[in-house]
Amino acid sequence: MKYSYIAPRKKSAFTTEVQLLVIFFSITLGMLFITYLFLIFKDYSFLSDMDDMSATQSELASSIEDMKEQIAFIEKENLLAQKVYTQNTVLKDSITNLFDLVPQRITLSEAKLLENGLVLYGITPNKDVYNFMLQAPLRSIFHETYSSFYPAQNGWLYFVSKNYVEDDISLPKEIEDED
Amino acid sequence: MKINISRQHIYLLSILMFFLIFVLLFSFAVLIPEGKEYRENRAEFKKELKEVRRYQNFYDEVELKLKELQSENRHIITAFDATFDQRRFQKQHRDYFSSLKLSELEKVSNEDEFISYEVNTTSEISSPKSFYNFLDAVNKSDWIISVEFPINFKRDGEMIKSSFTMKVFCADSDKNSTKKVTE
Repeated sequence: MKYSYIAPRKKSAFTTEVQLLVIFFSITLGMLFITYLFLIFKDYSFLSDMDDMSATQSELASSIEDMKEQIAFIEKENLLAQKVYTQNTVLKDSITNLFDLVPQRITLSEAKLLENGLVLYGITPNKDVYNFMLQAPLRSIFHETYSSFYPAQNGWLYFVSKNYVEDDISLPKEIEDED
Repeated sequence: MKINISRQHIYLLSILMFFLIFVLLFSFAVLIPEGKEYRENRAEFKKELKEVRRYQNFYDEVELKLKELQSENRHIITAFDATFDQRRFQKQHRDYFSSLKLSELEKVSNEDEFISYEVNTTSEISSPKSFYNFLDAVNKSDWIISVEFPINFKRDGEMIKSSFTMKVFCADSDKNSTKKVTE
């Protein structure tokens, strides 16, 4: 027996409302998961970058130490080189002054420049010329001056002048041996 | 009063509640703690980045200073690393002397980061001026050389015989350089 003239429509649990609900929550959950995955990825990326940065920092620190050592060494080299150059220049000036000191009437035959003194061998016309023209300036430079004379064949005098500065006036061994 | 709710609505509400609870649970239990961790890590990362940049800037400054020093003192650095070559020395300085003889190099001290060698020199010069020129030239030579006391000048006819000791300074190859001084 029929109660209706139309055929019954099929009923489904997946109605329009349910579909709407599922779509809405799918989008919401999708966004939440994407955010979660993004955070996980960024965390991993931060940790990985921080490891790299720690390694870079250690390398930089080590390189800085190396370079500081190199700088210190170059400064030491520069200091020593300047000391040597100054020493050579002072030596040159000392020798220039020494030869300028000797008057034309006195002839030197030998000069020994020591660390603490000067020994001169030469010939002078007489003692006065030596005393006034050579010994006087030598006395103004050195603290101790010893002179000895012996006659030359032409009537002039050979002289030996030993001059020392005060910090060590004891005669160097090589000079003592010669005496 | 009787509330009449259809089964369809109850079904809909159940699904809604289920999704809502899931979203809330996921957010509070997982997403928010992860977000906090992310913020902490980001702050730590920025701190670390700042520190690395500070190191990098300092590194750049030190490197610049080193390069400036190296370029300013190129001659000195090369001279300290140079191998002392007697023949080359004689060739370079023979113009100042009528004759120039050098003894064998002798290692005298190994102080700090430098090694010094001594070489005895005997020579003949025509005038003291040659010796002054030699002292000027020594300061510009390929090695770091100091002329040491005692220095002897002895007249020999028209020539002056001179003898002196030279000290050659080198950087210690074990500590600073791979080069070595050879005789």
